Amino acid sequence: MKHAILVMGPAGCGKSTFCSTILTHCQSIGRSVHLVNLDPAAEHFEYKPSIDLRDLITLEDVVEELQYGPNGGLVYCLEYLVNNIEWLEEQIENFEDDYLIIDCPGQIELYTHFPIMKNIVATLTKCGYRTCGAYLLDSQFVQDVGKFFAGVMSAMSAMVQLEIPHINVLSKMDLLGDRAESYELERYFDPDPNLLLEDVNKESSPKMHSLNRALVQLIEEFNMVSFIPLNINDEDSVTLVLSHIDNAIQYGEDVEPKEPKDMEDVEDDDEMYDF
Amino acid sequence: MSSTTNAAFPIPQATASAGNTGTNSKQSASSTGKQSASSTGKQPPVILCVGLRLTASVYTRKQTPYVINLDPAVGKLPFACNIDIQDAVNYKQVMSQYQLGPNGAIITSLNLFTTKFDQVLDLVTKRAPELDYVLVDTPGQIEIFTWSASGQIITDTLASLLPTVLAYVIDTPRSTSPATFVSNMMYALSILYKTKLPMILVFNKCDVVDAAFARDWMTDFEAFQDAVRADEDAGFMGSLVGSMGMVLEEFYNALKVVSVSAVTGAGMDDFFSAVDEAVAEYYVDYKPAMDKKMADKKEALQKSRQENLTKLMLDMAVDNENGGKEVKMSSTAINVGKTAESNFYDDDGANEDEEIFSVTLEDRSTPSRAADESFNRFLGKATSSQK
Repeated sequence: MKHAILVMGPAGCGKSTFCSTILTHCQSIGRSVHLVNLDPAAEHFEYKPSIDLRDLITLEDVVEELQYGPNGGLVYCLEYLVNNIEWLEEQIENFEDDYLIIDCPGQIELYTHFPIMKNIVATLTKCGYRTCGAYLLDSQFVQDVGKFFAGVMSAMSAMVQLEIPHINVLSKMDLLGDRAESYELERYFDPDPNLLLEDVNKESSPKMHSLNRALVQLIEEFNMVSFIPLNINDEDSVTLVLSHIDNAIQYGEDVEPKEPKDMEDVEDDDEMYDF
Repeated sequence: MSSTTNAAFPIPQATASAGNTGTNSKQSASSTGKQSASSTGKQPPVILCVGLRLTASVYTRKQTPYVINLDPAVGKLPFACNIDIQDAVNYKQVMSQYQLGPNGAIITSLNLFTTKFDQVLDLVTKRAPELDYVLVDTPGQIEIFTWSASGQIITDTLASLLPTVLAYVIDTPRSTSPATFVSNMMYALSILYKTKLPMILVFNKCDVVDAAFARDWMTDFEAFQDAVRADEDAGFMGSLVGSMGMVLEEFYNALKVVSVSAVTGAGMDDFFSAVDEAVAEYYVDYKPAMDKKMADKKEALQKSRQENLTKLMLDMAVDNENGGKEVKMSSTAINVGKTAESNFYDDDGANEDEEIFSVTLEDRSTPSRAADESFNRFLGKATSSQK
């Protein structure tokens, strides 16, 4: 079975670190994983990617040769990829039964203005990959419920067009230190939507209350409500995130779990949160 | 990197406009009371532009805009601006000096500029009585501004001094499919919740594509539903279309929405009326909440100072009893004080940014600083008496 994880999130949220953490962890448990870099502006990697968009085209090239700014240049690179998608197909067809961890570029324009990421997902599916999305939010920015909502909305903005199961990760928990308590982040790990609504209403003017309610309903339906904390220095935390990813991929395809808890087939929703 | 202290930029001349829709706005002309140098502490609104650039069109009006460019990678601008980050920070040099890629260089440039932001504020507040509004152009990579510590610092700082509103400027021709439109609106919502500032949705390039479809989708659920069904790319949204439609409608009700064309100047009157409305909202909704937050923080800061002072005195009392042992400063006493102060404005972002921030943006006249100084004197006395 071929699986792919699309790692997404705003610039600086820790995508590349996440990718290398998962890679290290997978290697230690004997799982065969490949790193794919789709960010033409990526700077350096702890591991050399098995597939690197920068082999096809780099942002520096585009900026220099075509005199694009960094924003336009990035879009150009990704559009170039989409127009030469066979390149990607050729690269991935060599892997069997492997996990692909795909580091995606941060720029939101790639999701809001162009169907680039959609095309990439379609290609992966065509090549027999079951894909899931992992959206990362920097936990340091989630200081209050308003900012949490902001994070969720930016995640949705990216994910809403991609028809893939997803998980949401609160990254950089290891960097929080003293602030962890005051942010009350446990609120977002498995929140009760009604409590969320209460919290956000408290913080906003009455004018916003109906919008708040409509939003809570939307994010609940889209399953964007819960976030998994990630502390890259904590082995258990990494294991938890990986198991959620596994579950999301299998659950999304309605396939029997590879290793059922009992020997019988289990199809409960509870399976999602057990590991 | 030159500093911005010599910003004697000329006031940009209003360009003769082609196709201007007759701006006889109530704010025009230098003869109105608004323009007179006022001792009433006039506060020009700050319009933070996110998304496309609006700046070109503001010169079609007879007003005095003050333009600040925060995009370090934009290159030569087609109009004069009063403060340009590119004068203070050389983007290309940052890239080579720090060995960064394009994104890293933008973030770093913005960080560096933020350390000088107090100078920007000084300049703006000095000119404030003569200004009608301040327009701030943010970096093209939207999330570099909205999801970075320096972007947040700049936004919060501006909003604490002047009535600040957000203009989310949309590339209308690129938002015509329901899928991308929804993505775009979600992102606008994200910014709205993050900054909590009044927001104006600006559909730009309406000379190319009329934004009527957008208004339809946000006000008429069936129109939206039909569009989603007809669009094969939006298939996935099918099941969510109900909740989505509701969100769009509530969003539309909660904001001001205008259509403009930066090229022809169409719709700019509507835009500035919307700005006025948003400013009113700022005073009603945003400012009281922010004032309260600042007051709470100040109080917490005072409290923690008091506690640390007490703790320190206890430490010293104990050591004195033990016969003149060297005073062991509880290391938290000093560090917490410093950190708390740098947290005064906001306590987020990487530690590195906090450190840069605390050095420059402190207001020199706050009571907290006086307390700090007397605390330092106290420390000085204590250590010398132990020698």
